[in-house]
Amino acid sequence: MTIGSIVKSDSHITYVCRVYGPREVETQPGPGDYAFGRFVRVSVRSSAANDDQAKLNLFNNHHEPTTYAVGVIYDTILSNPAYGSLGPRLSNETQVELFSPDYIAEKAILVYLMILGMMEQRVTSEGALEILSTMHGIPLLSLELGSDVETMSDEEVRAFHFFRDPGRADRPEPYLHMGYVPHIIAQRNSLLPMVTLRIIDQLERLFPQHLSLLSIVKRNFAWRLKVETTG
Amino acid sequence: MIDPSAITPALLPARAVHKPVGIAKGPGESIHEYTFVSRDDAHELKNGEYVYYELPDPSATENGRSPALRLVLGRVLKRVPLQLYPDTFLGEPEIPPSQVAELVGYDARANELFELHVGIMGYYEPATGSFINPWIPPQSGKQIFLADDDMLSRVLSGKRAGQPGSATIGSLLTREPEAVPVVLSVKDLVSTHLAIIASTGAGKSYLASVIVEELMQPHNKACVLIIDPHGEYSTLDEMANAPQFTQEGDGRGSSYQAQVKVYKPHEIKVRISTLEMGDMRHLLTEMTEKQQYLLNRALRKVKDSKKPMWGADDLKAAIRSVSKQKDNEDGDGGDDASTIRGLEWRIEQRFEDSFTFDATQHLDLPEIFKPGQCTVLPLNEIDERDQQVVVATLLRRLYKARMDTERGKVTAGEYYLPYPVFVLLEEAHHFAPGGTDVVSTSILKQVLAEGRKFGIGVSLISQRPGKLNADVLSQCQTQCIMRIVNEIDQKSVAAAIEGVGRDLLSNLPALSKGQVIVAGAAVNTPVLCRVRSRITRHGGESKDAPEMWQQYFSAESQDSRRRIDAPLNGNREFRLLK
Repeated sequence: MTIGSIVKSDSHITYVCRVYGPREVETQPGPGDYAFGRFVRVSVRSSAANDDQAKLNLFNNHHEPTTYAVGVIYDTILSNPAYGSLGPRLSNETQVELFSPDYIAEKAILVYLMILGMMEQRVTSEGALEILSTMHGIPLLSLELGSDVETMSDEEVRAFHFFRDPGRADRPEPYLHMGYVPHIIAQRNSLLPMVTLRIIDQLERLFPQHLSLLSIVKRNFAWRLKVETTG
Repeated sequence: MIDPSAITPALLPARAVHKPVGIAKGPGESIHEYTFVSRDDAHELKNGEYVYYELPDPSATENGRSPALRLVLGRVLKRVPLQLYPDTFLGEPEIPPSQVAELVGYDARANELFELHVGIMGYYEPATGSFINPWIPPQSGKQIFLADDDMLSRVLSGKRAGQPGSATIGSLLTREPEAVPVVLSVKDLVSTHLAIIASTGAGKSYLASVIVEELMQPHNKACVLIIDPHGEYSTLDEMANAPQFTQEGDGRGSSYQAQVKVYKPHEIKVRISTLEMGDMRHLLTEMTEKQQYLLNRALRKVKDSKKPMWGADDLKAAIRSVSKQKDNEDGDGGDDASTIRGLEWRIEQRFEDSFTFDATQHLDLPEIFKPGQCTVLPLNEIDERDQQVVVATLLRRLYKARMDTERGKVTAGEYYLPYPVFVLLEEAHHFAPGGTDVVSTSILKQVLAEGRKFGIGVSLISQRPGKLNADVLSQCQTQCIMRIVNEIDQKSVAAAIEGVGRDLLSNLPALSKGQVIVAGAAVNTPVLCRVRSRITRHGGESKDAPEMWQQYFSAESQDSRRRIDAPLNGNREFRLLK
């Protein structure tokens, strides 16, 4: 499900997404869709192929792989320019909506994304999801303004975290990855460590077989965030 | 390679093969230490391992080729891992921390880094056989190399394995077995004495036997005496049949076969006339002042009588005559009868029907000491006080024989010993205990202090260095120290032995059976050594009590007991019939 589009970036890895408001899309995203700690993806235009080619592919029913940047929502801002101008208003809200719709549109929900890695996937001719490659860390390419931000299914989140390292002959079997944790920690934002805990909670649900491994990271974070900061 | 002047162009390519194991970081804790950092992929930088760095040799002339290098050898003292997993990664026993590291994107294949502390030994100078401190630690960033087996074989020991005058007691502990032989110089061993110190069960007598085996091989053909209070060395007689101790002759009658002579307890005799006043005082306990005085005069009298040997009866006669003489001198006709009777009674009790003391027989020096012969004197059936007298008289006679022979006073006979000898003294703390003087202390001190002049080498073997006389221990210039757990013993070893560094002595409790620290005159630098296996069987093993108890109840031994205990067995019947 598409929740909004990229409107701004603060850095190469932190982006601001404006959540679609009423009447902008068919199904308006609810608060649960852009909740704190939610995994989202944004498609990256990696090759020089233009949109026409992409449309042609779609028309020909070609299942070309798509590259996504995978991110996590770590902050939400409710933007309301009208707040602060508390003076009397001549027209009521219905009238404003009718005569000055762009004013309404200035009220917005902004969510902040941090990019955690990349994922290349395609839909096979049978309609199944196929993950071609996964990478944790800072993507080389930046996102574009106006790109759609979509929520990710559990299956996709699972695929993003559980894969085999392509460069390792000694470890052919896939294993659990959280390679983005070090760069989350490196960011100076008080909410980011909390989002890590949230991510671990989700992974615990998705990977019940790896509870003890996750508990090590979780305990470490929880201690530092909850005990050391309060103590 | 070590000798800078010996670097030939042919050797240089071989050197280039050496891969550096790390990079120097900076100075260590003391001025003779430095640190370097290594990944140590091959797990070869153990504590005690030898590494070197290169230093240009200012004395070498540069005649067109690259300047000669000095290889400054050092020993790894400490190994500190630089990248430890955080404690929180270690929270789940069933999850290896590498898996957690992998989870957060760290490639667990990347190796750990270690900081290694190295004590600088110096570069080897073959002319003096010693290591010379360059007084210059490696610069930061300098490559550090692992010393190869070949280099170590050449620099650690002054002798090569199998050379005349060499004793290969084992190999370097940090390397593969047999890779780097540890070779003692027999010349230094014999002239400056040896101490073997270890807790019980660490392999003292095993090591001593290995040394004896080396001394008896054809490249040494030594003259060895083992004083063995526990009877552990009798298995050395297998040397007489082992091929390792044989050398084919070259047609001129110079073939060699090691001889082993194990004395029977009843053959170990001390001739009473070789006893001195000190020995008498030690043997005849609780004498009064008067008795001592009389005995002293009597002893002088029998010794002056020019009789080559005298016994207890001669001594008693001398006492009586001395006493009579004294009466005449004093003129008071005092009643010395009870004093004399007491003295005579003591002498009779001690010497008549004695197992050890005899009027005529004693150990014949030229018979005990022969080059190519290893003599074992098992003292295990002799009382401990008598053991001290046996050792004291033997050492005294040996010292006199060597001294007289060297000075040309004798040219034949009992006291003619024209070759150096090596004496192994087991349980040395019985014969020179610390804190108190026993009858053998003074002669042992004398032999240790002056033996090198006359070619008497002594090896002291003890499990209690703390109980050993410190003067005696410090005279032993070569030390083989094995596992010592007792703290007092560790301290006394550290106090008496200055040659071994603190860093090596701190390894003492961690040494396993058969591992030994060798230091002192017979090696170029202290080394950690793994003792080689013996050629002959080991005789000093502990008894396997449970095994022997099981044996008692085995079917055969039960049968044999039943046969012996039977009321009318064959033998008894036979005897009755007779």
